[in-house]
Amino acid sequence: MGELFPALPRGVGGDGQRRAAWFMLLPLVVGLLVFAIYPSVYVLGLSFTKSTLGQPFKTWIGWSNYRWLAFGGDEIFIASLSRAALFSFGVALVELWLGLWLAVLLASLRRAGRLIRSVMLLPLMTPPVLVGVAWKLLLAPGGGLVNGKLLAWGFIGAPISFLGTQPWAIFSIMIADAWQWTPFVAILAYAALRQVPEDIVEAAKLDGATERAIFWKILLPLAAPSLLAIFVLRLIMAFKTFDLLYVLTFGGPGDATDMAGFAIWRTALRNFDVGTAAAQTVMFALFVSILILPFLWLHRRVEERAV
Amino acid sequence: MTAIGIAGVDRFTAKAGTRRQAHAPSLVATPGAAAGWLLLRRAIRLLSIGLYAGFFLLPIAFLVTLTFKTRDEVLLGQFLTSKPTLENWWRAFQFINLTGFIGHSLAIACASAAVTLIVTTPATYAVARLRHGEFVGSFALSSFIPPPVVALLPLFFLMRWLGLLNTFAGMIVVYAFMNAPVAYWLLRGFVKKIPAALDEAAWIDGAGFAKTFFVINLPLLAPGVVATGLICLILSYNEFLFASLFAQDDSVRGLTVAISLFQGDRFVNFGQMAVASIAGILPIYLIAFVFQNRLVGGLVAGSEK
Repeated sequence: MGELFPALPRGVGGDGQRRAAWFMLLPLVVGLLVFAIYPSVYVLGLSFTKSTLGQPFKTWIGWSNYRWLAFGGDEIFIASLSRAALFSFGVALVELWLGLWLAVLLASLRRAGRLIRSVMLLPLMTPPVLVGVAWKLLLAPGGGLVNGKLLAWGFIGAPISFLGTQPWAIFSIMIADAWQWTPFVAILAYAALRQVPEDIVEAAKLDGATERAIFWKILLPLAAPSLLAIFVLRLIMAFKTFDLLYVLTFGGPGDATDMAGFAIWRTALRNFDVGTAAAQTVMFALFVSILILPFLWLHRRVEERAV
Repeated sequence: MTAIGIAGVDRFTAKAGTRRQAHAPSLVATPGAAAGWLLLRRAIRLLSIGLYAGFFLLPIAFLVTLTFKTRDEVLLGQFLTSKPTLENWWRAFQFINLTGFIGHSLAIACASAAVTLIVTTPATYAVARLRHGEFVGSFALSSFIPPPVVALLPLFFLMRWLGLLNTFAGMIVVYAFMNAPVAYWLLRGFVKKIPAALDEAAWIDGAGFAKTFFVINLPLLAPGVVATGLICLILSYNEFLFASLFAQDDSVRGLTVAISLFQGDRFVNFGQMAVASIAGILPIYLIAFVFQNRLVGGLVAGSEK
């Protein structure tokens, strides 16, 4: 650029540009230092100590917390890791499937499509705590609509405690989660399908391809990289689920719906064992990264091939 | 750019139109069977849409009807009520400081969204247009991966040390940076849509980098900035985990924490709980209703290259 426009002022493409860019980046860099790097380092340090909320870094105990966690000291936490993984992959897959279907439906509608899009935004915008409240009231054994209707129609003789018995409890959380996030997936999937060049679809139509063939052989493969990205995004978000658990089951019945994020919160703020909670946090963060990185890598590969 | 949502729908309805035409020849060839098939397909389509709409509306609609039910009628577990009452409404607003909680949440959400935008908009421009600090952007994005529980304890100790627990300033700063990765991700899509030639023309004319950003880019970015701000606002309003630990005092407590506390309260019945919930969702739903095209456009912008 320098040679093309020798008269460019104030160092475009050179030192001036670099200085301006870093000046604009500065607040974000400071923010990331405080809100991303400092917490990671702090938690890592904390995990080697015995700590309480009142007294962080009380005594240095080396690898004890990790040893205790890894060698069966806290079976509930280890189980909560795998439960979080199963839940996250489960809801991400179901939501991708339902959302894609909804996106295709939306695309085929005229005025009704606009109406349903307005309705769809509502779950997405609802605070997760209130999603929990709404589903809790809906599923309540006494006064809940689901039990009320099932009883009235004679499908069941006595109310079912959906949130207090397995496997209903975990399914209830998944349904509430799908209620909230399927619209989000649908909106993104809709945009992904729309990005497929129209002339390809038109050409296929001229060649007499059916709608089904166009979807499976053209739209889906061409939108695959974007759909994979949506899946990964939902996966990352699902691992963060906390509010729904807190309101709907509080990890119960027993520890049947206890997932890692919630288990850590309980260790730190109910048992006040901050050191152990920090070690759990480190394990959880590593666990999530190990599960998600392959998908990020796959996404990059697919995208490179698409280009 | 604002038109992403609307234009998208229009383009798709146009497509649906051509699709219908494409079916016409087959209708002529085998009238009976094809018409029946088409009808069946349309019926299935409408049925699925109905099911989806019902599924999405049901919990909210049930909450709304609950607000008008007496304690006895709630226990019947039916959808409609034969003798609606407004008692829950005035009781809820009388016994729970609902307006206060909603006000706190809104104030914190608006302020934090503003700070997020002030921090991330120039930063996004620097990475996407000035092409420096690419790794800061990548790092911001990857900081979205670990669950927020990682930051919970460190931020708690930091805020206690700084005396920011139970303060508006503390919550605003925490949320502002909590949402920075999302804002960066969304804004990047909008910045990339503005032709780089505009900046180059401005530079050739002698405008500095700051002037080019503020005078040339910011007005063009405005719709994207608004969409991003709205999404950040909603994310802050909805947040619970940090709020439950950092804002426990009544003077700053927001709606989500307040509602979670009614959970075990014997004095708050289903009807009042429903009132609190509906009142708490209402501001967000108003925003969603008024700005729906912008919100959809904003959500989509980040995912588009």
